[in-house]
Amino acid sequence: MRETRLWSVHLLVIPIIVVLLGAHFAVMHYAPVFYGVSIEEARNFETMIERGRSVAQLVLYILLLAAALYHGLYGLRGILRELTLTPGLGKIVDTSIILLGLFIFALGAYVTWWTFSFKIGG
Amino acid sequence: MSDKTNTPREITFRVRRFDPDTDSAPHWSEYRQHVHDGMTVLEALHQLKAEQEPTLSWRSSCRMGVCGSCGMFINELPQLACQTQVLHLGTDVVSIAPLPNYDNVKDLVPDLAPLIEKHAAIKPYIIYTDQIEIDSPTGEFLQTPEEREAFSQFTHCIKCGLCLAACPTVATDPLFLGPQALAQAYRYTADNRDCGMKERIEAIDIFHGPYQCHFAGACSQACPKGVDPAFGIQLLKRALVLDSIGFGKKKSLLAKVMPLADVVKAIEEFAPPPRTV
Amino acid sequence: MNSNKPTAYNNRLGVKGWVYAGRYTFERYLYLGHRLSGLGLIAYMVLHIVETANRMRGEEAWAALMTLFASPLFRVIEYLLFAAAVFHAMNGVRLLLTELGFFLGKPREPVYPYSSSIKRHRPLTYIIMALAGLIIILGGSSLFFP
Repeated sequence: MRETRLWSVHLLVIPIIVVLLGAHFAVMHYAPVFYGVSIEEARNFETMIERGRSVAQLVLYILLLAAALYHGLYGLRGILRELTLTPGLGKIVDTSIILLGLFIFALGAYVTWWTFSFKIGG
Repeated sequence: MSDKTNTPREITFRVRRFDPDTDSAPHWSEYRQHVHDGMTVLEALHQLKAEQEPTLSWRSSCRMGVCGSCGMFINELPQLACQTQVLHLGTDVVSIAPLPNYDNVKDLVPDLAPLIEKHAAIKPYIIYTDQIEIDSPTGEFLQTPEEREAFSQFTHCIKCGLCLAACPTVATDPLFLGPQALAQAYRYTADNRDCGMKERIEAIDIFHGPYQCHFAGACSQACPKGVDPAFGIQLLKRALVLDSIGFGKKKSLLAKVMPLADVVKAIEEFAPPPRTV
Repeated sequence: MNSNKPTAYNNRLGVKGWVYAGRYTFERYLYLGHRLSGLGLIAYMVLHIVETANRMRGEEAWAALMTLFASPLFRVIEYLLFAAAVFHAMNGVRLLLTELGFFLGKPREPVYPYSSSIKRHRPLTYIIMALAGLIIILGGSSLFFP
């Protein structure tokens, strides 16, 4: 594929990351500032499950996961492939990055789905 | 500062030496010599070779910043030896090494072959796709001053290779096209007479192309001719992105042509006066 | 190839060249910072997803993990990550604009002393870096003194 397309997508996902990561920070790290609850409360198991049961959260987290993984792994691939590599090693880097991305995405998406479908009290 | 930059005095030159026949790695040698006001590093090297070290090797030609042969790593910056005055460096010890990121052939001589190969790879010429017009031209191309200014800056490149010595990506990636070639790729795609975007894309829209430039800007700082290669690369990225989503600059073949008859008339009109002897 | 041909010395700087290659202006170190912070963030992101998957092992496992993360050491690490994210994001805004050709001025005839796109967008660089510094300090104050 033309490198321009890969690079453009890595720019296009930036707004998604900025907005959703900002929200994620606000909820998880600045709960005292924005929601008036302590960080311990915000990270409490039940609060977390409660938050995770909304459809919006399910969709937005999976979106953030995909966007951030693409952006980050595109950058990582660039750095690795800038090292003095043979063409064969370059292909291995590309394949490994795709496999790592798919694995982490599957894991993250599954955990998000697990939280969404969790039934409190069994 | 003023006493440092124009007082003639003894300067220590630390020169990196390497002889491929006898050495496996380079080593530094020190020489002391008197430097007068206005003396360039290149002149100092000539004096050094004449008076102290006849085996010292480097490459130079025009000694006026035009040929691009004498690029060296002088006091930790890639510079043209002929354009750098020793006393303006302001240090009592001047270090001179061959350009980094190239193979070191001997002493201060870098192997610039990769620079030329990459330059050739981006098709550095105007590509005009109307073969009939090329074979039997019907007119002359016109270019407005504005159209010329869009790429004029990048035509000043002298292929000295200082930018590749400064580039962090070239430091590890031998396949990266590099600031020189990519800036030239922009120079030709931005030319209103060129219709070669499609052809050139195959050479430049690759992993080792413009997107491995992360705008560290060292190439533009090193450039001795004010070409600003980093600027050219960023403009090339924009042109490629616009092209990939169908908003590329539309260039019609023979956009502005002066008919041949008019050209002949113009030549007659501005003909020199008849010879008197 | 002639086997008697003397071999040239490989003068490529390698990964060291990412860090230092000469006396260049600070933009070259913003490049390095962007690269290092990016590597840190993607490494953390992968760990973060694996680590939060621990919730599937139940409430106790989750609570133990959260107690660990509340320790001073992890708060410092958390702050470093926050600083890296802010730097990467703010410098990223600069790169997003400039790599698409904005804020760099127009091509011009090179007349000595030369102007360059790096110098021309330096005011933007200063503003963005000042903002990044401010956010890192403000963000830290509420992270450490909630």
